[in-house]
Amino acid sequence: MDKDGQGRASPSSVVSDQSSVGSTGYQLDGVLARRAALLALLFSSGIASTPCSAAPDSLFHEARPAMGTTVEILLYASTRDRAAELFEAAFQEIERVEAALSTYRSTSEISRINTTAAHRPVVTDPEVFGLIARALEYGRRTGSAFDVTVGPLMKAWGFFLGDGHYPSADDLSEARAKVGWQHVALDSAQRTIRFLTPGLELDLGGIGKGFALDCAARVLRRHGVDSALLGAGQSSYMAIGAPPEARGWPIIVPSPHNPARALSTIQLRDRSLSTSGSNRQYFEVEGQRYSHIIDPRTAEPVTGMVQVTVIAPTATDSDALSTALFVLGREGAAALIEGMEGSAALLVIDDGGEKEIVAIQWTERVALMDK
Amino acid sequence: MKRREFVAASAAAAGTSLLGLDAMAETLAKRRFSPSDELNVGVIGVGSRGKYMMQLFLRIPGVRVTALCDVYEPRFAEGCEITGEDTPAYHDYRQMLDSASDLDAVIVASPLSFHGEHMVGSLEHGLHVYGEKAMGFTVDDCNAIVGATRESGRRLQTGLQYRYAPWYREAIQRIRSGEIGHVTHVYGYWHRNYNWRRPVPDPSLERLINWRLYKEYSGGLLAELGSHQIDIANWIFDEEPTSVIGTGGITFYHDGRETFDNVQAVFSYPSGGTHVFSSIIGNHNVGYQINIYGTGGSVKLTLEDGAFYYEPARANSAVPQELIERGVHTSATLSTSGDMPYRGPGLQIEIPEGEAGNPSFLAAAAFVRSVRNGTRPFADAQVGWKSAVAVALGNEAIRGKRYVEFADHLESKE
Repeated sequence: MDKDGQGRASPSSVVSDQSSVGSTGYQLDGVLARRAALLALLFSSGIASTPCSAAPDSLFHEARPAMGTTVEILLYASTRDRAAELFEAAFQEIERVEAALSTYRSTSEISRINTTAAHRPVVTDPEVFGLIARALEYGRRTGSAFDVTVGPLMKAWGFFLGDGHYPSADDLSEARAKVGWQHVALDSAQRTIRFLTPGLELDLGGIGKGFALDCAARVLRRHGVDSALLGAGQSSYMAIGAPPEARGWPIIVPSPHNPARALSTIQLRDRSLSTSGSNRQYFEVEGQRYSHIIDPRTAEPVTGMVQVTVIAPTATDSDALSTALFVLGREGAAALIEGMEGSAALLVIDDGGEKEIVAIQWTERVALMDK
Repeated sequence: MKRREFVAASAAAAGTSLLGLDAMAETLAKRRFSPSDELNVGVIGVGSRGKYMMQLFLRIPGVRVTALCDVYEPRFAEGCEITGEDTPAYHDYRQMLDSASDLDAVIVASPLSFHGEHMVGSLEHGLHVYGEKAMGFTVDDCNAIVGATRESGRRLQTGLQYRYAPWYREAIQRIRSGEIGHVTHVYGYWHRNYNWRRPVPDPSLERLINWRLYKEYSGGLLAELGSHQIDIANWIFDEEPTSVIGTGGITFYHDGRETFDNVQAVFSYPSGGTHVFSSIIGNHNVGYQINIYGTGGSVKLTLEDGAFYYEPARANSAVPQELIERGVHTSATLSTSGDMPYRGPGLQIEIPEGEAGNPSFLAAAAFVRSVRNGTRPFADAQVGWKSAVAVALGNEAIRGKRYVEFADHLESKE
């Protein structure tokens, strides 16, 4: 990678962020979004593995399939063997978390809760209980824009297996009856979870990948790693420290309709970034483009939002927030992010008329769009 | 449980107890457990497995983890992250057993060479034990654990959790009923492709953290991985092996380790069964699988599922008359079809909705039920003994690249 840690944004495409409009951030016009945040790290050709402690650390990379996507880790270590042990420890941690949280595994803790909690309160361990509590808290704080029980609506709209379709009124009302984070009752003294409505299901897909990255980052830190980047399928990144002599790990948020161009380049350091986008996953009915993100409040797919990138202190937060802001839209997103220290967001909106970028507490430069 | 309650309970029980009221029984009586009460669990060895198991125990209603014991300081903070509270920490298991008077049970997840001391000590203090596999390091350890379990009257469950996996139970019940004919061979594999090392913050901690790589503490791959496969073979054949031939070596990782990075062992059973076990950590191709071969079919069990395969029909069958009219061809080519591996799908073992589960969690829950109801665990000390003794003697064979007759080493068996 480039040792000075600078991003790859073309200088001509980057403008100053002085065009602030009001307290909600910046509005730049003329945007179409196409891709999720893209990591643009170029590897140096020779990754050394000399077992000499005096030598500077080298950069190592490993990617493995996990959590339904590809998880990749970049880290600086003294030797290839040391890096291999660190990768193993981190990926084992991700596997541990996935084994507990995956709804695709009948042996997971979430599957156990989903099959039992409608019948009786289910005791779970503090980690899983804490994550569910945090997910429900996001439901409260976002006025239900983020809802871990949205699964039945996703199924009704055909987003689990197919490309999406308009559901029948009956299917939709049946699904709506099974959705609502308010129907999950927690008892923190007993550490129990209880579903107050039959048919309810927890799906931590909107927060679990970020949580797994946070857990793996904690393992790496525990092993003394002070410079690493962990990513899940380009949609979430967690940075530990920065590359040597760099401000941070350069992450490029691409222009949605021209992925070769950077909308903004972030130097991510000890923080997390997540992106939600509708450019690759959507379907159209009578010219209306529906994203694959459902607004749990209306039971309909979100329209008008193209791409949301969020920076937050943890990947658990950025993962949940990117979905929540996508649903909330401009005003709701600004109100939420402005109340959260250390958070920022970049929204790309195309609601048929104006195409614009909304930057909320975003301190990096944002490029003007192609007209 | 509260001290006052169990003293009262033990006083009530004393009149009907068949045990003599010697010092040992007195100690045990103080630990008497009330089924409706909270179960307080201590953990000896808060490493990766200890942490994992304690997290699973915390998913069981009424269970609290109230004591952590380890010799490596960072483990206490890691353990408290899992319990979510400021759990008392002990650097010496004896101190924990003496001081933590609220304990009902312990999880023993220390390095293998300490299992005997930690499990026997816990049982002698009147505690129920969930003891990780392999149960003991030596034959003497295994005998001592079985003896202490019997004398204490406490429950000991060995960490052979696949005994509790629904697809294993289903498969073995069907195998027992004759579904794949006469079972003669079990081929068990556990292959991985990584060096089996944990990152070490300082070279002085190498043997503590990477204890699995050193013979003083570890039975290597046969103990850490093979003990499961040996137990499954014991379960299938319903007996334990009587001899073993072994080999192995350090082939992939010449990094100062002492335990082999690949082992092969063939166990023979008295009724004619054979279990071939292989573990290699420089190639992942076959992963974990247990292939069970019977005269009428096969079963493949993995960490997540299982399937039945049936042998092609060999019986005489009616043939159309035109075969004679057409004639049969002669050729110099050997037909390979009869010797090609079966590549089609198997018949998956179906687990009813709601009965699936993480084997380690199901094992932990079963242990707690055994403690509460006073019932004998399915994976009890005898089951643990049979697997752990085969590991110990299998390692004799592997290290000496030789044949070991179990009877030559089991004089001291009770």
